[in-house]
Amino acid sequence: MSDWYYMNVVLIQTTLTTLLLALSIQVPLRFGVFSFAGIGAFGIGGYGGAMAMVHLEWSTWPSVLVGTLAAGVAVFLLGLVVQRLTGLYMGMATIAFTLIVSVVAVNGGDLTGGAGGLYGALGEITMTHIVVVVVAVIALLAFTEARGLGRRIDTVREDPELANALGIDVANYRRLSFLVSGLLGGLAGAITTLLRSTITPAEVNFHLVIVALTAIVVGGARSWLGALIGAVIFVWLPTWLSFVQEWEKVAYGFIVAAAAIYLPNGVLGVAKDLLHRFRTREERARVAALQETR
Amino acid sequence: MQDLLNAATLGSIYLLFALGMALVWGTIGILNFAHGATFMFSAFVGHLVSRETELPFLGVIGVAVVTGAVISTLTQLLAFQPILKRSKSQHHAEMRILIGGIGVAAIPLALAQRETRSSPFGFTSSYKAEVFEILGLRLTTTSAVIIVAGLAMGIGLTLWLRRSRQGLALRAIGVDAETSSGMGVNRTALALGTMAVAGALAGLAGALLTFHLGAIAPETGDQLIIKAFAVIVLGGLGSMLGTVIGAYVLASAETFVLYMNWGTWVDAVSFGLIFLILLARPQGLLGRKEVRRT
Repeated sequence: MSDWYYMNVVLIQTTLTTLLLALSIQVPLRFGVFSFAGIGAFGIGGYGGAMAMVHLEWSTWPSVLVGTLAAGVAVFLLGLVVQRLTGLYMGMATIAFTLIVSVVAVNGGDLTGGAGGLYGALGEITMTHIVVVVVAVIALLAFTEARGLGRRIDTVREDPELANALGIDVANYRRLSFLVSGLLGGLAGAITTLLRSTITPAEVNFHLVIVALTAIVVGGARSWLGALIGAVIFVWLPTWLSFVQEWEKVAYGFIVAAAAIYLPNGVLGVAKDLLHRFRTREERARVAALQETR
Repeated sequence: MQDLLNAATLGSIYLLFALGMALVWGTIGILNFAHGATFMFSAFVGHLVSRETELPFLGVIGVAVVTGAVISTLTQLLAFQPILKRSKSQHHAEMRILIGGIGVAAIPLALAQRETRSSPFGFTSSYKAEVFEILGLRLTTTSAVIIVAGLAMGIGLTLWLRRSRQGLALRAIGVDAETSSGMGVNRTALALGTMAVAGALAGLAGALLTFHLGAIAPETGDQLIIKAFAVIVLGGLGSMLGTVIGAYVLASAETFVLYMNWGTWVDAVSFGLIFLILLARPQGLLGRKEVRRT
């Protein structure tokens, strides 16, 4: 592989795990559920994986699996409890869940390593492994979308009452979104932890919510491709901005704010618009007709 | 008893901070994530000015209040208004306003961190807090001012929203923005005014907390955002009285946990409380019944 690859291995890995984390917030959002439980799942997955490795001396992938499943189950149960809440109240309850996860980690004694975190969970995870996992996740998401589920999801989000009237079990879809969100967040947490061999309570915090949200909105909120673009921008922008040196963080703030103002559908939306212009007239008419019927 | 007094001081700080956020969120529907940065930067400008000139207590507060109002108004003018202008509806703008606020917040944070190298800053003022002993309780002048200011602002805003014409117009926007502008409410001007008031409150809270603690760190505002979020949801969105109650309930719960020496559980207990209240009353303690924002 090239020098560029070796210099940026860590950044590439971070991009991929950030993508999984962003997806764990984006999936419920696409169902119209404002849930940040994916961040809590990140913590449960990370701690679950690390605990399996350190305390039970399991090998890498069973540990990742157990972390992921624990997070999936926890967030699914949370979903059952909070399903009556709507909008930002749901957001608040799920943020509370996330913060409680981190406080439990602080108070977990030897089990979680307390405030200092849990060390020594170095898994054998290579770049190939991560790429395979991420491609599999995206393929699964894209496949379910293509199978007509995507349209039903859009209906559930845009008009839950209409969806109910059409015989779509909205509550069921929302519960599903919690499960998927938990699994994705848990996977992201387990892989991140076993790559770096440590996890601390301080890592499971509100800042991660902001990371994931920014990645989704700047990239594009409606598809996994948007989340990917967002993750790339979020992880790489600070390194691209290093030429402005001390003003890096200021420039970063300006760029995020400008993206929110000028790119209503994120970078992906701009790309689609450009693509749209290159299409021939007939094609444009056909696309318009298609969108009418959706 | 001393703990009750501490809870009252802490609650008043939460209140002063959360009132501005609650006012803006509950009426014009903007969840302003730059509120924490406004709070911090107002205190920071107070720090810069007091370094050059020895301002008295009220002088520093005046500087902070004006700074807060200016930052908040600018945020509305340069970020939120353009976002709203480019969106189909308020509902579609919600996420982008969130991200816009996060972007805007990053700018003053980065500036303050750069200037102070991320270390805490305080005021150089001729003011010295005096300690009173009343019935065996220790009360500093700063705490007294904080408690009085918190209660005064809480009651004042509640009355203003209920009794005045602008208050009526603001509440009308909160219920149905479209119809209220049809009835002659100038939404743009009111929104600017509301943001200015909220910013001034943030500035007041920033200056008072800095006087109370001696110094605050650039990141203090971000921690308060989560607390304020909790206070507003606890009390019920759209109700100023609810915000007042929410602030003191949260502060009392936290003080109680500290009193019982469960220090490290402090966030888990306060957020667990929010969780429980939300489950029992999904709209918060004093929240109005579901308002359909379409």
